[in-house]
Amino acid sequence: MTYDLVVIGSGPAGMSAAINAASYGARVAIVDENPVTGGKLLGQMHEDPDFEWWIGENIAREMTSEVKKLDIDTFLEKEVWGIFPQWNVMLHSGEQLQASNVLIATGAAEKAMPLPGWTKPGVMAIGAAQTLTNYHRVKPGHNVAIIGVDPLSLSVAHELKMADVNVAGIFLPPSNALTSDKSSPMQIIDDLSGMAHLAPNRLMKIAGKMAKNPVMKKAAAKFYPSFGMKVWGIPLFLRKTVLAIEGKEQAETVKTAKIVQNGQLQQENAKSINVDCVCISGGLYPLAELASSAGCAFAYIKELGGHIPLHSPEMETTQEGIFVAGNITGIESAKVAMAQGKLAGTAISDRLGLLNNPQKAVTRARKEVEDASEQALIQFQPNIGYGREKAEQIWREKADL
Amino acid sequence: MNSDTVICRCEEVTLSYILNAINNGAATSKALKLETRAGMGICQGRICRPLLEQVISIYTEGSIPERPDLSSNHPVRPVSLNELAGMGKDLNHADK
Amino acid sequence: MRINEHPVLGRQKKNIVNITCNGVDYEAYEGESIAAALLANDIRTLGYSEKGKEPRGIYCGIGHCYECRVMVNGERNVRACMTRVKDGMRVESQSGELL
Repeated sequence: MTYDLVVIGSGPAGMSAAINAASYGARVAIVDENPVTGGKLLGQMHEDPDFEWWIGENIAREMTSEVKKLDIDTFLEKEVWGIFPQWNVMLHSGEQLQASNVLIATGAAEKAMPLPGWTKPGVMAIGAAQTLTNYHRVKPGHNVAIIGVDPLSLSVAHELKMADVNVAGIFLPPSNALTSDKSSPMQIIDDLSGMAHLAPNRLMKIAGKMAKNPVMKKAAAKFYPSFGMKVWGIPLFLRKTVLAIEGKEQAETVKTAKIVQNGQLQQENAKSINVDCVCISGGLYPLAELASSAGCAFAYIKELGGHIPLHSPEMETTQEGIFVAGNITGIESAKVAMAQGKLAGTAISDRLGLLNNPQKAVTRARKEVEDASEQALIQFQPNIGYGREKAEQIWREKADL
Repeated sequence: MNSDTVICRCEEVTLSYILNAINNGAATSKALKLETRAGMGICQGRICRPLLEQVISIYTEGSIPERPDLSSNHPVRPVSLNELAGMGKDLNHADK
Repeated sequence: MRINEHPVLGRQKKNIVNITCNGVDYEAYEGESIAAALLANDIRTLGYSEKGKEPRGIYCGIGHCYECRVMVNGERNVRACMTRVKDGMRVESQSGELL
């Protein structure tokens, strides 16, 4: 079957792009391996400063209804195994979708953070816990330990508490060469400063503000109490780490140890805490395997989460007709993903000759992406702005070659 | 980290096995994959690729390459030969 | 393990369907994933690893890791986290072989 645009991924970026292009008259198809549309909108929930709840599932429902109204074909429970020139999108069940334009909006994957016992049942990625709790409405466990201190793990800790799950504590990951930037209290206080204005606890707010002052930050990391501080009633331990997850058939305990003032681990006084679930938060990285297999050029930019497919200001990769939007371009919020999707949809509609005033439409869409990024309540990646600039600079250099 | 800790979950490859391979000369994540099978399992490296890149970068004191060293080749998702044989069939089942 | 009342998300109302897992009957909610249904019934082990025969369950929850793969109505390697339950569904754990 032939389309003007095939969108891979029905998350906020994918659906935004599809709706945008279809509203200009393009013939669009969306492919998703999930049984429903919405991607990672399903399970996300945030409280804004006015105490209003933004619920991803509701946004997904609205967008899905738009998708239906615009007669966009959706192929659900279908995995794309390859994209061939120019362009044939291959589905695992044998179908082949043909389109002059493809948008890869496959989002992100979680970075693994290994520690002894991490393969046991009951140990899961933080995103899995979020989806189970807020979307499937099943508790991941009765007593949960969270390993990793970042905006996502803190959000999920709060969400678990709301679902009446006991969160035994939020711990630092074990300190080793692979986790050096995630297990240093100084670095963590720095990274959390982007959340300070949302912090429910007065001490956290102060800690957030202190993070902006280097002298105060050093003092904060040094004097942080070893018994932790409570956020939403949950102990947040910046001086305790998990050495191992133990249990026979599944996770039953976590072995925790204190980190003393000089940064040394106090292994002799390890304490075991009973849990039936451990959530690991190692950060997110762009899931760009399809872009890679289609021959798109990449760059490694740590601030964006890892390897990203290089793209023009209008979201087109180095392969003509292949566009990207959402977390695949760098880890940011759902609102930025939606704005990027809209931008890609606009650029593609321009390519198809469907716009009356392309210059105006594209300029406005680009501005919306900038605004969404600036207005973000939570910064998942510290230094995201720097990361975006770096990507733009590499693109310009490539264009000059 | 305990060197018995599994790095590649699919193929159950431990850190010590990987470090051994590096000591024996594996200097890229591709070489590691060929030597230890890490990154070769059913998840196609989705879970362990960033870890392998980091381990190589740390132990060989190199930087992470601009292009993912464990490149993604078709098929990027498991597809059975049966399904491939049935390719090109008419699509009547787009879900509206 | 079910969250039927939630302070922000409200009450959930779902129809009950019946599935079996390794021959045992379980109640599930219509439309939920196999992994969620089993977890709601306190089942965390979904299979065993190929080499070490170690218990494995939900890890990534988003279809990336394939560790939750089970046999559904005789079909192998179905991801439990990505597949919805249907009334009468027969789920069985695999011993770890791929194909």
